[in-house]
Amino acid sequence: MGGMNMSATGIGASVRRKEDLRFLTGRGNYTDDINRPGQTHAYILRSPHAHAKIERLDISSAQAAPGVIAIFTGKDMAADALGGLPCGWQIHSRDGSPMKEPAHPPLVIDRVRHVGDQIAVVIAETLGQAKDAAELIEVDYAPLPAIAHPGKALASAAPQVWDEAPGNLCYDWVIGDEAEVDAAIKGAHHVTRIELTNNRLIPNAMEPRAAVGEYDRSTGDYTLYTTSQNPHVIRLLMGAFVLHIPEHRLRVVAPDVGGGFGSKIYHYAEEAIVTWASAKVNRPIKWTAERSESFITDAHGRDHVTTAHLAMDKDGKFLAFKVETIANMGAYLSTFAPCVPTYLYATLLAGVYTTPKVFANVKAVFTHTVPVDAYRGAGRPEATYLIERIVSQAAREMGLDQAELRRRNFIKREQFPYQTPVALVYDSGDPGGCMEKALKLADYSGFEARRKEAAARGKYRGIGFSTYVEACGIAPSAVVGSLGARAGLYECGQVRVHPTGSVTVFTGTHSHGQGHETTFAQLVSDKLGIPIENVDVVHGDTAKVPFGMGTYGSRSLAVGGVAIDRAMDKVIAKAKKIAAHLLEAAEADIVFENGEFSVAGTDRKKAFGEISLAAYVPHNYPITELEPGLEETAFFDPLNFSYPGGAHLCEVEIDPDTGVTQVINFTAVDDFGRVINPMIVEGQVHGGVAQGIGQALLEACVYDEEGQLITGSFMDYTMPRADNLVSFTLDTHNVPAPDNPLGVKGCGEVGAIGSPPAVINAVIDALSPLGITDISMPATPPKVWQAIRSARPPLAAE
Amino acid sequence: MELKGEQHIPAPRQRVWEALNDPEVLKQCIPGCQTLEKQGDDKFTATVKAKVGPVSASFTGEVTLSDLNPPESYTISGEGKGGAAGFAKGGANVHLAEDGPSATLLTYTVNANVGGKLAQIGSRLIDSTAKKLSGEFFAKFSEVVASSESTPAAAPATAPAAAIQEPAPPPSPAPKPHPAEDHAHAAPAPAAPAHEAPVHRRGSSEAPPSYDKGIPPMILVALVACGAAIALFFI
Repeated sequence: MGGMNMSATGIGASVRRKEDLRFLTGRGNYTDDINRPGQTHAYILRSPHAHAKIERLDISSAQAAPGVIAIFTGKDMAADALGGLPCGWQIHSRDGSPMKEPAHPPLVIDRVRHVGDQIAVVIAETLGQAKDAAELIEVDYAPLPAIAHPGKALASAAPQVWDEAPGNLCYDWVIGDEAEVDAAIKGAHHVTRIELTNNRLIPNAMEPRAAVGEYDRSTGDYTLYTTSQNPHVIRLLMGAFVLHIPEHRLRVVAPDVGGGFGSKIYHYAEEAIVTWASAKVNRPIKWTAERSESFITDAHGRDHVTTAHLAMDKDGKFLAFKVETIANMGAYLSTFAPCVPTYLYATLLAGVYTTPKVFANVKAVFTHTVPVDAYRGAGRPEATYLIERIVSQAAREMGLDQAELRRRNFIKREQFPYQTPVALVYDSGDPGGCMEKALKLADYSGFEARRKEAAARGKYRGIGFSTYVEACGIAPSAVVGSLGARAGLYECGQVRVHPTGSVTVFTGTHSHGQGHETTFAQLVSDKLGIPIENVDVVHGDTAKVPFGMGTYGSRSLAVGGVAIDRAMDKVIAKAKKIAAHLLEAAEADIVFENGEFSVAGTDRKKAFGEISLAAYVPHNYPITELEPGLEETAFFDPLNFSYPGGAHLCEVEIDPDTGVTQVINFTAVDDFGRVINPMIVEGQVHGGVAQGIGQALLEACVYDEEGQLITGSFMDYTMPRADNLVSFTLDTHNVPAPDNPLGVKGCGEVGAIGSPPAVINAVIDALSPLGITDISMPATPPKVWQAIRSARPPLAAE
Repeated sequence: MELKGEQHIPAPRQRVWEALNDPEVLKQCIPGCQTLEKQGDDKFTATVKAKVGPVSASFTGEVTLSDLNPPESYTISGEGKGGAAGFAKGGANVHLAEDGPSATLLTYTVNANVGGKLAQIGSRLIDSTAKKLSGEFFAKFSEVVASSESTPAAAPATAPAAAIQEPAPPPSPAPKPHPAEDHAHAAPAPAAPAHEAPVHRRGSSEAPPSYDKGIPPMILVALVACGAAIALFFI
């Protein structure tokens, strides 16, 4: 398929992003840019308590405030018999019982369960009036004890989040054979044990969430403009489960969206509130999060506490891997939350290794914190961090070189497709090939000399490894359905050929920074042989795109791209029939190449535009056999996940006087299968690695013992900045994906998946001469400085 | 979450105690104080407008006094609500010692917590705000008690006149006064010293702003700053 077009805009060309002109010159059209006639403004009163009973809620003074149109509380929503925010995935515990799934009303009734929980919405003529009126709402709280830390949530004395979830346990899930793994560990030559925390992160997309709800009384139609990664999913969840609006009466538009990283997948309360209330007040309503609101309402990421054991034989061959994880769900179950620490985490625990036996037990717990859900990588960064930390520790304990221990355990290229002991079948890959290339690029053999040179300058230098695989291209519907998904995860693509041969592509995926408008246009330009300027990509509007499941899990190209490709196949098949008629030849003799339909073995041909014109001006047309027009739709449901992987090597230097860790080199060699636009792919890796370095060195979401978020602004929550990073050395070692029709694997999440363990392993390697074997993320200067001080004599010279 | 501090006040202990009991004095000394009312022998309510960094709001608060030992010591506890800005709650032990015949040394120990937006984005700024507000409070308080001391007749608003409105502070001349209940109507607490840097341990082993127990141990003033009524007394 494709590849025949040798233009500078086809597959494999680093075409500059079509969307950049509008983004870089401030011409984007974001949700908050949308203003509807008669629009009002919503402000949401939120709980300052992590856990409290609402003893009295009096809105009467607020209702009388200037500009106030209406104030609604949870009781008003309950009176309209609205549903709660649904969870899209059901997990079953080891005893077969379904997970505990507490109610999740958009506005609470009588109890708040995290700081930021929604209590009431004030709708006023201006935002200022809404905020002023909210100050007049009187709430009497009876504060209750709160629990924020997942590691303490299961303790018998822990405050309880839900009566229906005793012990704060949402589910107790297992995969693998525990007895078998225990036996292997018992008989092993050496067992490496590790305890670690995957730090809780706050996504912080550049654009805060926003929603505009509008109701048309004359038609009964609702429209929601929202910052979403998947407008059709929101239409389904909000329409069917919360507001009970049939699909054809509800349009969801997700216009330009300024970053999501997972946090904009989920159906949030504010979307339902403004949509429902717009009918109550019969005027459009806009809500836009303030940055501090984003901190306490956007779903957070990660937050695992894990203990693991890796058993080895005398040669360092992995025999068994046992993992016990507590995963924080927060106060409510967000849309995808339950599947993140199970099917997106534990199924990856074989990593790139031939470990024959793997067992994992995951206990998901409720706490009085913001819900936790998928965040760039979702489960796979947690798995990769755990595996690569314990493998590196095992190498140190076994006295083996980091690269050598990995070599002994890699799944070899010829072993693919590879069935892991935790359900997945990796279709392709070459972990060893990726690592060897990375070792060369990073000059691994010269590292010890660099370490010595740094030591002479009084610095600790270390190198850290991460060799990883991830599963993305989410997902085969039948597989995920059998695992508890309550939706299919196929994708829809529609290709509309206009009369003069230009093309509009409608995709159910959503771009919020990934460059789909360019990548998908390249697919079309390449396959149909038309200039890329003649291709327009439309996404993000349920009234325009037939259907879609949105963008997450690096699925847009691997699933959505294939749907577009399939629609193009249908377009070409129909166009061939038209060409056969026009060229007076048999359909079987028509060949389509470089944008031209020709009769095989002759010089008779028609350009693509001539065929499309004939389709819309059917004067000379096989009208009895074929309908006019040239527009096709395809749905694609993948047969397997896709499996990008690679090797990340990080080199750091630590200043013992300040504890500051500086990334000196970062090398990533990734396997993306077939690459459509290398520049966009590189950009995705850059962003992902920057986020991974952020997690490893800077970012920490901290709740205090009372459940207060004390890292609730950019003063306290440290995002990575240019001066924390380095110019990355990036390369690829691509092995085409046989299970994907386009041969592609996905690249959006790998940077955030592969990099954190490489950074922390480098920090530990740097400090290993001091006997330090563990540093938790983020490796902040005070933490590193303290580790150094406690590990060596106070006055020791460098 | 414990903070200790002291403040030198240029007035006799009895006068300082009375002034701290006097809602009118407190009202004019507490920065941003809108109302201050006695709700009973041991309860006060107040409204204070305060700004902590980017968070500004009107706080309503209620405080309770206990362990009254005039004119030497008492305990104050309470809570202030700032609507969307969050809340502050906590308590303090206050002690007055004679520092010569015409001066008093006020020492205090404070425990405080803030929640909501104050914790989220204001916690880093609370110490400095508390220092600023307590500085303002003590400057004014010292001025008022000193002037009323020297020229009682000239200071009608602050002087014994106020004591007419409120039941006069118990005489309790004895060095060892009666226990609390006898003086339950006694009053407001002294506050945080302006010059005292909050003793405040940044979390040493965790992420950047993780404090030992959440919010930095801040001064009662912080409460005040947050508008807690406690703060009222304590500023």
